[in-house]
Amino acid sequence: MDRPASFLDEALSLDDGDSNNLQPWIGRVVLVEDCVETNGAFVLHHLIKRFLSPNLSSSDSIVIFVAFAQPFSHYDRILLPLGDRQGEGVPSKEAKRDIGDMDWRDLVTGLELAWVGGLGFAELGCNLVVQRENKRLIFFDMLMLECPDDGVEDGIIALYGNIQKAVEAVSSLNKNITIMIDDISLLEVAANGSTKDVLDFMHYCHTLTTQFACTIITVIHEDIYSSADHFTLPLQMEHLADIKIKAEPLVTGLAADVHGQLTILNKGSSDGLGRWKSKIRNFHYRVKENSVEYFYPGGRT
Amino acid sequence: MADAICRVLRDGALEGEHATSLTINDSVDSPFGPIVFDYIFTQLSSYISSGKSQSRGVVLVAFSRSPSFIVELLKSRGIDITTTHEWLRILDCYTDPLGWKERLKERGAIKTPSTEASLIVNLCKDVRNLDDLFSLIIALGKGLVGEGKNRFSVAIDSVSEMLRHTSLSSVASLLSNIRSHAQISSVFWLHHCDLHDMKTAAAFEYMSSMVANVKPLSTATNVLRENSENLSLLEQNYKRGQFHASLKRRNGRVRIMVLPSFSLNMYTCTHHTQAHIQCSISAKKCEEFSIEQSLIKFTSLSAGKNETAQSLVPKVSFRHYRIYPFMSFFYVQHNSGYMFWQVQFNLQLSDKERSDRAKVVLPFEHQETGKSVQIYDGRRSVTEGKHVSSIEKLQKQEDPGRGEIIYFRDSDDEMPDSDEDPDDDLDI
Amino acid sequence: MATNKGRTSSFSRNFSAAPTSSIPGLKYGPNGTIFLSSGVPDLDKILGGGFHLGSLVMIMEDTEAPHHMLLLRNFMSQGLVHNQPILYASPSTNPRAFLGTLPTMLVSKDDRSRNTDAEQKDLRIAWQYKKYLGENKPHIEERDGKVEYCNEFDLRKPIEKHLIMGNRVECISLLDCSSLAGFRNSCSKFLSQLPRYDGNITSAGRIAIQSLCAPQCEYFDKEWDMLSFIRSLKSMVRSSNAVAFLTFPASLVSPSVSKRWQHLADTLLSVKAIPDEDKELANLLTGYQDMLGLLSVHKVARFNTQVPVILDATTYSIKLQKRRSLVLECLNQAPVDGSSGSSYGTSGSCSGSSKTGTLDF
Repeated sequence: MDRPASFLDEALSLDDGDSNNLQPWIGRVVLVEDCVETNGAFVLHHLIKRFLSPNLSSSDSIVIFVAFAQPFSHYDRILLPLGDRQGEGVPSKEAKRDIGDMDWRDLVTGLELAWVGGLGFAELGCNLVVQRENKRLIFFDMLMLECPDDGVEDGIIALYGNIQKAVEAVSSLNKNITIMIDDISLLEVAANGSTKDVLDFMHYCHTLTTQFACTIITVIHEDIYSSADHFTLPLQMEHLADIKIKAEPLVTGLAADVHGQLTILNKGSSDGLGRWKSKIRNFHYRVKENSVEYFYPGGRT
Repeated sequence: MADAICRVLRDGALEGEHATSLTINDSVDSPFGPIVFDYIFTQLSSYISSGKSQSRGVVLVAFSRSPSFIVELLKSRGIDITTTHEWLRILDCYTDPLGWKERLKERGAIKTPSTEASLIVNLCKDVRNLDDLFSLIIALGKGLVGEGKNRFSVAIDSVSEMLRHTSLSSVASLLSNIRSHAQISSVFWLHHCDLHDMKTAAAFEYMSSMVANVKPLSTATNVLRENSENLSLLEQNYKRGQFHASLKRRNGRVRIMVLPSFSLNMYTCTHHTQAHIQCSISAKKCEEFSIEQSLIKFTSLSAGKNETAQSLVPKVSFRHYRIYPFMSFFYVQHNSGYMFWQVQFNLQLSDKERSDRAKVVLPFEHQETGKSVQIYDGRRSVTEGKHVSSIEKLQKQEDPGRGEIIYFRDSDDEMPDSDEDPDDDLDI
Repeated sequence: MATNKGRTSSFSRNFSAAPTSSIPGLKYGPNGTIFLSSGVPDLDKILGGGFHLGSLVMIMEDTEAPHHMLLLRNFMSQGLVHNQPILYASPSTNPRAFLGTLPTMLVSKDDRSRNTDAEQKDLRIAWQYKKYLGENKPHIEERDGKVEYCNEFDLRKPIEKHLIMGNRVECISLLDCSSLAGFRNSCSKFLSQLPRYDGNITSAGRIAIQSLCAPQCEYFDKEWDMLSFIRSLKSMVRSSNAVAFLTFPASLVSPSVSKRWQHLADTLLSVKAIPDEDKELANLLTGYQDMLGLLSVHKVARFNTQVPVILDATTYSIKLQKRRSLVLECLNQAPVDGSSGSSYGTSGSCSGSSKTGTLDF
C-alpha cells in the first residue's frame, strides 16, 4: 500500500507500462455504477486528478466535464486536497509548489471561460484564477438543463453539439481527450425520463471515441434500475462500456473505516506484450479527504 | 463450429429459397457477441474476396462500430483493404444515425468531420426509416454485384441498436425483406438478447436458419450482478464462454452443436513462438492493438468429445444436452488424428517463428517420433505424470518471459462412456 | 480543510431587529460550508452541525405516522425565530392554517434575562449531550456545547403570532398547482429574493415542502415531472442561501423513482412509527415507553468533500422531553441495521399495527 491509489490504477490498467502511458484508455468507455449508500463520485475525482495531473500525463490530456450532479465549486473544493495529496505522494517539481499554485482552478483557463461564457451556460460558481498555460479542463454546468419531450433539439442535441465543438477545438492539439458525464441518471431526468434520448446521446458521444479517440467516463446509479422493467439503461451502458467500476456496500454493512467495496470489470486491454487480458478486481475502500485507501477484504489493519 | 456456420453462410441460399440467415445472441454476462460477429464477418469476407462463396459481395450495415474500426479489423485479419471496393460496401449507421451531426453542421455548431477514404462508405442519416434503409442496402448490393443472378450477403452488426429506433415489427419486416430478396445469398446479425424481451429473441430466431448463442460458462443467473464475491467465476466468464449453435436443415431437422467452452486467451504473434498455439476460440478486438501480424483461430474442441452434434426433431431445446463445463484445449496443426477445425489468417510466419513453432512439443499422443505419448485416451490417464512432464518440456522450450500456455485436459472432464463418433458432424 | 472551525458565528438572539451583519442562525461548517439549524438540537448534533446551506433535505415519511410533521414544524419554527424567510407548501387547501400549529420556542415569554436563559440552556444541553460524548465520530465537531444557534421548541404551545406576522412566510397549496412548473417558479422567485452569497451571508431562507407526492395533487401521476422539479429545486437551492426541506411518502412512488429521489437528496432521513404495546420491542429497547418513533439517517450531505459521513448509529428514537420538546436518542439496543442496501428502500417496513404515542400532533 505504498501508493494508495495503486489498486485502482492497477485494476484500470492505468499503471501498465510506464506511468505516463494513457494508451490503454484511448477510445474506451468507462462506467461507474453506484448506489444510494455508496457514492461512486470519488472514482470520478480520482480520474480527474489522474488525467489533469501535471506530472503523470505530461500535460497531454484534456478533460471535458459535463456536470449534472454538482456545481463547479464542489468539484473544485474536492480536487484541491486531492491535488495536494498528489503533490505529497508523487515527488516532483510540482510538489514544491504551494497549495495556492496547486489550485485545481488554475487548470481552468481562458479557453474554458470563453466556452462557458460564449455558450451561455451558467457561471462556474467560483472565482477562477485563470492561467493561460493550462488549458486542460472544459466544464459544462448542466445543473439546470431541461430538455422536455419536444426540446431534444435545443437540449440534448445542443449539448452534444457543444461537446463535439469543444472536442474539435482541442483535437488539433493532439492530446488525449476525456469526456466525463456526472451522471447519466440525472441526464435521464433532464431528458424527462426518455431513456432513448439518453442512449442516443451516449451513442453520439461514443462516435467521438472513434473519431477523436476520446475516452468517456460516466456514472450511473444502478440501484434505481433494480426492478426488471427499468433495467435497460444500465444494461445498454454496460454493453457500451469497456470497463465497469461498481461501488457497493459490503454485505456486512458500512463502517467508519470501510466505506464500501469496488468491483472492477475490465473487459480487456493489451498488456505490454500485446496479449489480450481481461481483469477483474475487488477490494474495499475508505474515502479520505485527500485520498482514497484501498485494501483487500480483511486486509485492513 | 463457428466455421461450420461460416461454411453454411458461404454456401448461401438455394434457388427459390430464402437467404441463409444467422442470429448471433449474446448478453452482458458473456459480452463477446461482437467478437464472434467480427470473426464470422471476416471469415465470410475472406471467402468472398477469394471467390469461394456463393455471394460476390457483402454489405455491412454498421450500427455499433465505425468504418474505421472495420478497416482495422480487416487489416488485422490480413485482408487486403485495397480490394474491398470489389466486394465490400459499408452502410454507416453509426456515425450519424439520427442526423444530429448533419443538423448541427447546418447550424454551424460543429465542423465537417474528415471522411475516410480507405473504404467505400455510405452514410445513413436517418435509421428510423427502414424502407429507405432497405432500398439503400439493396442498392449498395446491386452496385457490387450488378443486376441479375449474382448474389451478395448482408451483415448487420447490431439489431439491438435498430430496435432502439424503431419497432420490432419494422425491424423484422426489414430482415424478412432482405431474406426473401432474390439477390441475397446470406444475412446475419448480432442481437444483445438481454436488452430485449423473450419475444424479441424469439422473433429473430424465427427468422433465422441458424442461431448462435454466446453464453457464460457459469450458468448461475446473473453472476455479474448478484455475486461480486465470486470473482474467480466472474473472471472465467470474461475469458471463456460457451458457444451454442443450431442449424435448421433443409430436411426439417435441426442440428445442434454445443461448444462447451471457448476462451479468449488472445495471443498476438509478432514475436511469440506460442502464437500459433491457440485456445479453442481466439478472437481479437483489433482497435486495441497496433500489432500488424496476428493470428486468429477459431478451433473447436476435439469433436465427438466436447461437441454434441446430433440431428434431432425440431423444438428440442439445448438444455437436453450435456454441457461440459470449463474445458478448453489447444492445437497447433491437425497432425493428431483428431477432428477439429482450424482457420488461420495471415499465416506468413517468419523463419524464426517457423523454427520456434517446430520446437514446440505438443501434448498429443503421437509425436511422430514413433513413440506414443499417452496423453489422450478418453479416460483418466494412468500416465498422468508423463503428461505433465511433456507439458513441462513444452514450457521449458518457451521463453518464459513471453507468455504461457493454459492447458486443460479435456479427458479430465469427460464422461467415461462418451463414445460418439468424433466425425459425426463433419460437414463434408 | 476545516479552516473555519474557529469561526463560529457570534449569534445574538434578537427578535425585534432586522437581521444584522452578525449572521443569525447560521454557523460555519467544514470545507467552507455553512450550517443552518434543523430546529432539533439533537438532529443538528447528529448531522454534524445542522443542514448545509444550499442542501436539499428529504424525509421519507412513514405513511402510518406523522413524525415527519414534527421535524417539519421545528424546521419552520426555527426559521421564524431566526427571522428567516420561509416558503411553505403542502397538499392542503389552506396551508397558512398550518402556521398556527408551529411550536413555540422553549423560552419563557417574560423578560427573564436571555443570558441566564442561554446559560441554563447550555447547561442543560451540555448535560444532555454527555451521553453522546465519545459516541460520535470526530467529524461531528464539538463546539464546547454551544448550540446557541439552535433552539428547543415546546410542542404544546403555538408560536407567537408576531413571529408569523413579522416574517416573510409564503404559503402555497400544492393542490392549486396543476403542474409543478408554477410551483417551481414560486420557489425560484422566493430564492431570488434572498440575498446572494457573496462571501458574506446576510440571511438565509427555508423552503418547507410537505408531502410533495401526495396523491391528491394533480401532478401525482407525472413522476418525471416531480423528479425534474426536485432536480431543479436542488440546483436552485444549491446556488442560493437556503435549505429546502422536503417530505415525501416513498411508498407512493414507484421503487425506482423513490431511489432517484433518494439519490437527489443531499441529506436523507426517514421516520418510522414504532408499534404500540409491542412487548418484544419493549424488552428489546430501553425507554420504549417514551418513544414516539424512530428516525434514521441514511445520507448526510457532503458538500465540497468526497468523504462520506458514516455515523456509528443511524437509527435514533424520537422522544419528547418533559412532554414538550423533541429529543433524539441513540437506541440502546442497536437496531437491525440495514446498511446492506435494500432496507430503507421501502418505508414503513416495521410498521405492523402501529398507533403511535399519545401525543396529538
